[in-house]
Amino acid sequence: MLLRASGAQEDRAPDVRAVIESGHASGVEHGEVLTAFAEAVVGGEAVSLARARRELIDAMGVEAMVDAAGVASNFERMVRIADSTGIPLGEYLEAFGKDVIAELGLDRLRARS
Amino acid sequence: MTISYGGAPYPVRGDFAAAHDRFWRRLAAPGTWWSAAERVAIAREARRARECDLCRRRKAALSPDHAAGEHDRGSDLAARGESRASPREEPALDAVHRIVTDASRLSRRWLDETLARGLTVERYVELVGTVVALVSIDSFCRALGVPEHPLPEPLAGEPSRYRPASARQEEAWVPVVAEDNAGTPEADLWPASRSAWVIRAMSLVPDEVRTLIDLSTVHYLPMADVRNPQASRGRLSRPQMELIAGRVSALNSCFY
Repeated sequence: MLLRASGAQEDRAPDVRAVIESGHASGVEHGEVLTAFAEAVVGGEAVSLARARRELIDAMGVEAMVDAAGVASNFERMVRIADSTGIPLGEYLEAFGKDVIAELGLDRLRARS
Repeated sequence: MTISYGGAPYPVRGDFAAAHDRFWRRLAAPGTWWSAAERVAIAREARRARECDLCRRRKAALSPDHAAGEHDRGSDLAARGESRASPREEPALDAVHRIVTDASRLSRRWLDETLARGLTVERYVELVGTVVALVSIDSFCRALGVPEHPLPEPLAGEPSRYRPASARQEEAWVPVVAEDNAGTPEADLWPASRSAWVIRAMSLVPDEVRTLIDLSTVHYLPMADVRNPQASRGRLSRPQMELIAGRVSALNSCFY
C-alpha cells in the first residue's frame, strides 16, 4: 500500500502493477530479484527458493537477503490476520490506498460474507 | 530451548532470534484461553496443515465448500476443549488448517458457523495469533534455508481467561478493544485513538497484539514508523520493503 508513497519520497514512481504481475518491472532498484525472492518464499519449491536467495545475495548482499526474509515472512503473518478477522481497511488506508486498490482490481477481494 | 540462528550459513541479525525466542517462550506457556499443551498442539497442527490432503483439495477447488473429507491430524487438538465439536470436522482443527492454507477465502459466514460449533471467539482469536506467529517464523526459516525450530515442551498452568472490558463488536468479524484505549489495561497496545485495524484485529486477546508488535518491529518496522513512507530499516530501502510486502500480500490474495 505504501509502495507508491515511499517511492515518491525518493523521486521515483514505482509501478504498482509489479505487485500483481510476476516479472513486471517495478522501477524499484533490484526489484526483479526482490519480487522473485518474495514469490519463492510464498510458493516456490526449495530449488527455486535457493536460486532466488542466491540471486538476491549476489545483487544486494547477505544482510539485505536476511532483511528481505524478515519482511516477506512478516506479511505472511499480516495477511492471515486480516483475512481471519475480517477487518475493514479503515479511514487511513481507504483514503491512502483506494486508488491503488482500484487500479489493481483488488476490490473483488474485499467483500466476503 | 533458546532460539538461535547461529547455525545459519549467513549472519542473521540478533534481534530476530531474540524476538522469536520470546514467542517460543510464550508458546510454551499457558495463554489467555488455551493451555500451554493446547497452544503447542495448535502450532503442531499449523505445520501439519501444509501437508494436509483435504487442504490441498480445498485450495484447488473453485469453492472451499466443494472439497469434503477430514483433515490430516498431527495432534490431539480436536479433542481438547471443544464440548460441542463435530466428530468429523472439529472447529479448532479446521480453523487452524484454513488459516494456514486458504485464509483469503475465509468468510464471516464460515466464522459464524465455526463459532456456532463450539469454538468461542476468544479462543478463536488466540488461535489466530498463535498460528500466524508460527507461520511467520517458519516462513522466515524457510526463506533463509534453515530448519524450522523444534516446538517447545508445554509448561503446566492455567490460562488467565482475561477479556478486555472495552472489547466490543465493531466492523470486524471479532470483537475488538475500543480505538480510544486511554486509561485501560490495553493502553500500551497503541496510542489512544490512533491505530490501524490490523493492530486492533486480535485485541480481544491483548497478548496476541503484544506478540504481533514485537515480531513486526523486528521483521518490518516499529508500529510508530509504519505510516511514515520515509522510514526504513536495515539494508532495504522503503520502496524495496513495500515491493516485497505488496507482492507477498498479492500472492496470498489479500487486499489489505
